[in-house]
Amino acid sequence: MKVSLEINGQAVETEVSAALRLSRFLRDVLGLTGVKEGCCEGECGACTVLLDGKPINSCLMLTFQAAGREVTTVEGLDGSSGLQDAFLQLGAVQCGYCTPGMLVAAEGLLLDKSSPSEAEIRHALAGNICRCTGFETIVQAVAAHAATREGACR
Amino acid sequence: MSETSVAAPADLAELRAMLSAVAGPINFIGGGTDMLIAGRPMPAVGLLIDLSRIAGMAFICADDGGIRVGGATTVAAIAAHRGIATRLPALAEAAAQCGSVQIRNRATIGGNIANAAPAADLVPVLVAAKARLGCIGRDGASRELAICDYAPDRGFLIAEVILPRDGLLPRSAFVKLGPRLDLSISRLNIALLAEFQDGRFGDVRIAAGALGPRPLRLRIAEAALAGRKLEHATLRDFLAALAADVDAAIPGRNSQAYKRRAISGLGLDLIAQAVGLSPRDQLFEDVVQ
Ligand SMILES: Cc1cc2nc3c(=O)[nH]c(=O)nc-3n(C[C@H](O)[C@H](O)[C@H](O)COP(=O)(O)OP(=O)(O)OC[C@H]3O[C@@H](n4cnc5c(N)ncnc54)[C@H](O)[C@@H]3O)c2cc1C
Ligand code: FES
Ligand code: FES
Repeated sequence: MKVSLEINGQAVETEVSAALRLSRFLRDVLGLTGVKEGCCEGECGACTVLLDGKPINSCLMLTFQAAGREVTTVEGLDGSSGLQDAFLQLGAVQCGYCTPGMLVAAEGLLLDKSSPSEAEIRHALAGNICRCTGFETIVQAVAAHAATREGACR
Repeated sequence: MSETSVAAPADLAELRAMLSAVAGPINFIGGGTDMLIAGRPMPAVGLLIDLSRIAGMAFICADDGGIRVGGATTVAAIAAHRGIATRLPALAEAAAQCGSVQIRNRATIGGNIANAAPAADLVPVLVAAKARLGCIGRDGASRELAICDYAPDRGFLIAEVILPRDGLLPRSAFVKLGPRLDLSISRLNIALLAEFQDGRFGDVRIAAGALGPRPLRLRIAEAALAGRKLEHATLRDFLAALAADVDAAIPGRNSQAYKRRAISGLGLDLIAQAVGLSPRDQLFEDVVQ
């Protein structure tokens, strides 16, 4: 069937099969390989994208369900916002597999709450698993970035 | 050709017409958070109808006597709703404890009920609140049934969840026990609705999940609390009654020994949440001595 949706700010119109998961469409058809598939069960969060600004697991959604909606992958995040830099500076990236999902989930949190507490950051990232870092530096990176973003807004 | 086709009706009227007009199998997809888990078979034939964008299926109305929640309302919307937090805090609590942010943003109340998992977190609250389901059948006709009479294999669409005013009680609580703090399927979950005034319980309704194929009322525990003062003796009787409910629900199951013990801690947390005390309060400490 034919679907039109907006991906990373661009209108996309395409023919998709009924059973095609959004994660596979983004990766295989559009080449947005920042979207990872770690489990396809909603457990790892590596496939996290924003749907109309809210984090969801793209592995648990069919592409046709996204018709008429806005999808943002890690490729569509504003690289100059400093979130990615904070991850690098604080050592929040090791193998990097979880990183795109973490960045998108963190962005989703910051869109909703500009100055989250540490507990709120941990809660918001509970659906994202990292097997390398131990999470500590990831939480620090999001907190550090939130502080500068808040500062810049005032 | 026997491949799945898909449809995304714009509103309930279009959906209703589709249900009666289409011959052959029809399946629904809400958030997809149960249906699309890798390894589960996807419907191979028939029509798959997307419920997640239908106008009139995602709403919460909590300002009249009871509460009404559209069948495709997300768990995140339920967790964030002020009216639900004041009128039925147990439902907000159960929703807040479902999965992760990503899951809550897609998972729907209708999917939680229709998927019929023994550990579904919203269902014990709905059972304790005597919820009714506004359903639409394959003939396109509406019918209302008690949540306990709902059977997923009949193919009914859950259009709305109705919480009648007389099912709601002033206090409510929800607690769950899972393998880890966040993002875990309940090993045991309990919801309580109660009247509680001047230190005394009135009417009490309790339902628990993961103690059988579907959530059930814990009648022995209800009787141990109803009409009684909140004090040591009552709580001790309540804990014994919870264990008796577990014994009655899953006699001889491997998990029986674990769950009859685990339910004590959970039961005290439930009471603490319902009456607004800290679970560390001396009252509870004394009882577990
Ligand atoms: C990682 C993860 C964690 C989870 N954690 C929890 C948890 O903590 N607690 C919990 O309770 N659940 C949990 N779940 C399960 C799931 O998210 C919920 O059961 C959710 O509410 C299902 O809703 P859905 O809209 O995604 O259902 P879908 O997957 O879309 O549908 C499930 C079934 O219900 C049917 N259906 C959907 N909507 C309707 C309707 N309105 N009328 C009739 N039939 C319908 C579908 O046809 C399908 O058979 C978790 C799932 C995952 C993947
Ligand atoms: S791939 Fe989607 S949550 Fe793991
Ligand atoms: S950096 Fe390797 S999984 Fe997180």
